[in-house]
Amino acid sequence: MRTRHRPRAPRRGDPAEVLMALRPPAEWVLSAALRRLARRRPEVFERLGAFGDAAFLIAPDGSPVAFRLAPQGAAAGVQVRRRDDRSPCAARIEGPLGALLGLFDGSVDADTAFFSRAIRVSGDIEAVMALHNTLEAAELTLADLLGLSAPVSDLANATVRFVRQAAAAKAGWA
Amino acid sequence: MGSIELVCPAGSPAMLRAAIEAGADSVYCGLRDETNARNFPGLNFSPAEMKAAVAWAHDRGAKVLVAVNTFARAGGVDAWRASVDSAAVAGADAIIVADLGVLAYAHAQHPGLRLHLSVQAAAGTAEAIAFYAQAYGVKRVVLPRVLSAPEIAALVRQTDVEVEAFVYGGLCVMAEGRCALSSYATGKSPNLTGVCSPPDSVSLEETDGLLTPRLGGFMIDQVAPGAAAGYPTLCKGRFEAEGTASHLFEDPTSLNAMALLAELRTAGVRAVKIEGRQRGKAYVARVAAAFRAALDALDRGETTAPYEARLTGLAEGGRETAGAYRKTWR
Repeated sequence: MRTRHRPRAPRRGDPAEVLMALRPPAEWVLSAALRRLARRRPEVFERLGAFGDAAFLIAPDGSPVAFRLAPQGAAAGVQVRRRDDRSPCAARIEGPLGALLGLFDGSVDADTAFFSRAIRVSGDIEAVMALHNTLEAAELTLADLLGLSAPVSDLANATVRFVRQAAAAKAGWA
Repeated sequence: MGSIELVCPAGSPAMLRAAIEAGADSVYCGLRDETNARNFPGLNFSPAEMKAAVAWAHDRGAKVLVAVNTFARAGGVDAWRASVDSAAVAGADAIIVADLGVLAYAHAQHPGLRLHLSVQAAAGTAEAIAFYAQAYGVKRVVLPRVLSAPEIAALVRQTDVEVEAFVYGGLCVMAEGRCALSSYATGKSPNLTGVCSPPDSVSLEETDGLLTPRLGGFMIDQVAPGAAAGYPTLCKGRFEAEGTASHLFEDPTSLNAMALLAELRTAGVRAVKIEGRQRGKAYVARVAAAFRAALDALDRGETTAPYEARLTGLAEGGRETAGAYRKTWR
């Protein structure tokens, strides 16, 4: 039986509402960059194997919204969702933004982040592992995901490095 | 007394480059199938990636050792033979093998290919090592992690085969190569399918910070809010027996034998090995750099002490041990 969700009544000043209202351009930029990456470096996505069609909900701590990432397949793209989104996905990955960015570019050791409980995962652990190993091997930067080119890409990557290092030094999961 | 070779893990070409740039002399890695003991989704090398990685490493004076170290399946040995052939075609400096049939095939078909005996073979006596050397021309043995440092020194004196010893990373239940614990809960084990605690059998449930890992549906631990966790394997699970919950098989600690490097070198150990092909670039870069600095210090006649705290926080379970090298329980 399908469940129909009743739309929430918007609350004035609710950060989640504001971010959800802004989601179309963010989703368009992120999804276009992901598809561009898939065209440019198909070998990256081959590592996903059976999990090419899987979707992952990535939820930064403290953020009212999360990102639903579908790396490959007909629904490939990135969608902005409410943090408490419970629509079907292979796995949910939560943690500090700095740690999640570090996992994305491989600069943070995922096991250390998991052992220290900075990163929390639930759902299909095999899918999470496939995604992690794929990102590890890909050597991507945030600029790759955003589809940026120099000099903007250099600035974006330097900013990410700063955020990640500061967060890692504070949390001890570098 | 020569320098000790630093052998580091690589689960991908990116990790291989990170290891060598951080100071690894050699890198070990596997092909993307059940023929190596880290057969996890998204991990390992295609034959083409392996060939390119070997060329990249050789350009920088580093070696690549290919692990074909699971046990070939009766009636289905083609995958293992294909992996040996791929490693040879890629120009690997050696292959790391445990299975007698795979050793025999490699020795017969690729007589120029150097053979290292995997830790999975659990060869810890001079007699066993001599057999592998005489029968298959094995040039190096990776010792099982059950020997103390004095026992290794005694063993080295009795063999002409090079000795390689693990010095960092996750530990397994002894005796190595004979563990089937994972099979009881999941039907898969490291020595047959190359995967211990396969991730498709793992589930993690967190409620109010209390983490409950399950393997094959069996609850194997409960981790208090904020406490260090590890990858859920049966051997490091916590179980209740006679009313008391404890780590019945093995504490979730990781090996760190940096403080024993000088002793291992004096014993005649030729190479030291870092565990962790499944860990990633950040891990291998940090561990390889720390051990590179420590080994270089030894070569200069200095102590390794300044480098021993560099790896704090990396260990599974958040705790380290010198393992069997210091058998304090004896």
